[in-house]
Amino acid sequence: MISEATKAISTKAQKWRTGRAAVGEFLVFTLPLLVFLLILYGTLFWNFYVSMANWVSTAADYTFTGLKWYNYLISQSRFWIDVQNNLKWLTLGVVPTIVVAILLAYLLELAPFRGVESYVRTLILYPVAMSFVVTGTIWSWLYQPDRGVFNTLLGSLGIHSTLRYTSDPTSATYWLILIFIWQYLGFSVIIIQSSLRTSELQEMVEAATVDGASKLRILVSVIVPNIRSGILVLVSLLLISTLKVFDIVWIVTRTGPGVATDVLATNMIVTAYDQRLASAGAAIGVIIFLMAFIIIIPYTIYALKKWFE
Amino acid sequence: MKSKSTTLKITVIVVLVALTVAYLLPIYVMIDNSLKTLPEIQQRTYMAFPLRPQFQNYMSALFGSRDFLIPMQRPIINSTIITVSVTLLTAFFGGLGGFYLSRSRSTFSRVIFVLVGIALYLPYQAVIIPLTTITARSGLANSHLGLILSYMIINLPLASVLMGTFFLSFPRELEEAAQVDGASKIQIFFRIVLPISLPAYASVAILIFTQVWNEFFIALTLSTPKTQTVQVAMAMTQGSTISPYNLQMAASLLTVAVPLLFFLFLGRYFVRGILAGALKG
Repeated sequence: MISEATKAISTKAQKWRTGRAAVGEFLVFTLPLLVFLLILYGTLFWNFYVSMANWVSTAADYTFTGLKWYNYLISQSRFWIDVQNNLKWLTLGVVPTIVVAILLAYLLELAPFRGVESYVRTLILYPVAMSFVVTGTIWSWLYQPDRGVFNTLLGSLGIHSTLRYTSDPTSATYWLILIFIWQYLGFSVIIIQSSLRTSELQEMVEAATVDGASKLRILVSVIVPNIRSGILVLVSLLLISTLKVFDIVWIVTRTGPGVATDVLATNMIVTAYDQRLASAGAAIGVIIFLMAFIIIIPYTIYALKKWFE
Repeated sequence: MKSKSTTLKITVIVVLVALTVAYLLPIYVMIDNSLKTLPEIQQRTYMAFPLRPQFQNYMSALFGSRDFLIPMQRPIINSTIITVSVTLLTAFFGGLGGFYLSRSRSTFSRVIFVLVGIALYLPYQAVIIPLTTITARSGLANSHLGLILSYMIINLPLASVLMGTFFLSFPRELEEAAQVDGASKIQIFFRIVLPISLPAYASVAILIFTQVWNEFFIALTLSTPKTQTVQVAMAMTQGSTISPYNLQMAASLLTVAVPLLFFLFLGRYFVRGILAGALKG
């Protein structure tokens, strides 16, 4: 049975490859994709080269300077602030989101009322349709220390809040990350939900229930280990989104107070377009890409195996 | 997994209330303040109900007024031209590329798949300087074409994978029967696969539309006054003296209106697109 199937597949692949008509067909299907991929990878390598050139004004200068601009970057204290902030984003933007998403997805599976699931889904998923520009703008109103919504609400509960939110340099990044979590929670919940809903898992949960395991016990020892691949996919997607984070910071704090909330992506724009140090900006781009690459590669291999299995 | 314990019921209710507040509050603040007069915003709390709803705020935000110098009309037209073009073209080309990736098992298609996979989540920061150079040198910067092509470069790999994911889950019997009858791959694709894949195209189109409409980083660096998108215009209202707060919120509502309506009426396509994007489809 299996060998028949493989034979069928290999003859099909053969058919796809042979014949002049097949080449024409192949080009119709893949040419646009290949052209755009070529441009994409072309610009990627071009950027890599710019990062090792000496482009420091509006006019391009491709004189090779090796790692000069990478050295320049690591000598800047701002770069290290970015690295620290990016690490905060990578951990606090991802771990709490996933933990809350798992708990919430499980709670929705258990929910004893009808309609709860579709209500919550719509409620927490609508931010996926909104841009960070708008979300960030609205949240600035919530965070505004003197007259903003949060401090007003706390005040009406009788709590005199001294929280400064994004105006406080020591905690500003954390408040920005909260916006990200708010925006991505619904997205995360539906990905977890889809991996919860396999019949194998449902059977295992039922068996554990019959054995008298508590709900929490079932979550920790049955569900979480069995939705590993779903969690892994979600971790990768969230890691990449937090690594690329730009919009929220740019809109809400514009890297401030001072450069307290600066991240690599915002520094890149400031360096390349405000200070006109294109090569240094390109170097930051390369650094962000290499960090993303570490996350993308295992994810792509996982996807490749699934796709061609 | 349904259950009936009381603690569970209480937990569910508490979580429901907390989520409802957390997720409706921002929307409430946006709509509420977009309907106020400026003195009302400055004198009363942001939570207060508007005394008399100022619906003309939306007209001022759309067409501009004495105090609001960023009329959203032109950016909305720009974003519509750019987003619709990118969506239609990437969905079409992505369908073609995705069909190849889902049907060919050759080494070459594995190589393309890996290249596409890396491109899917490529940080824009790593290509933005060359993109700026290309669009500036070729003169594309002054037309919508520069942004359209830039968005296609980024979104075509995504559209291909999404469409491919849907094609993978399709039954092959019809295609095989057509192949036996001597139909070419192209005929099979356009006569059989494409017509029954329209819901999949809808999912991908909605996802790409939302993504491009909401994109800010590329738009900020590549758009010129002539091609300014809604997000860039919206960002200019932030913390600036040329934009009163009430009109800023009215402009926000105009900016999110289109994708939000898509979400509310075509939510299930949204969800299918997201799940396919996570390669779980």
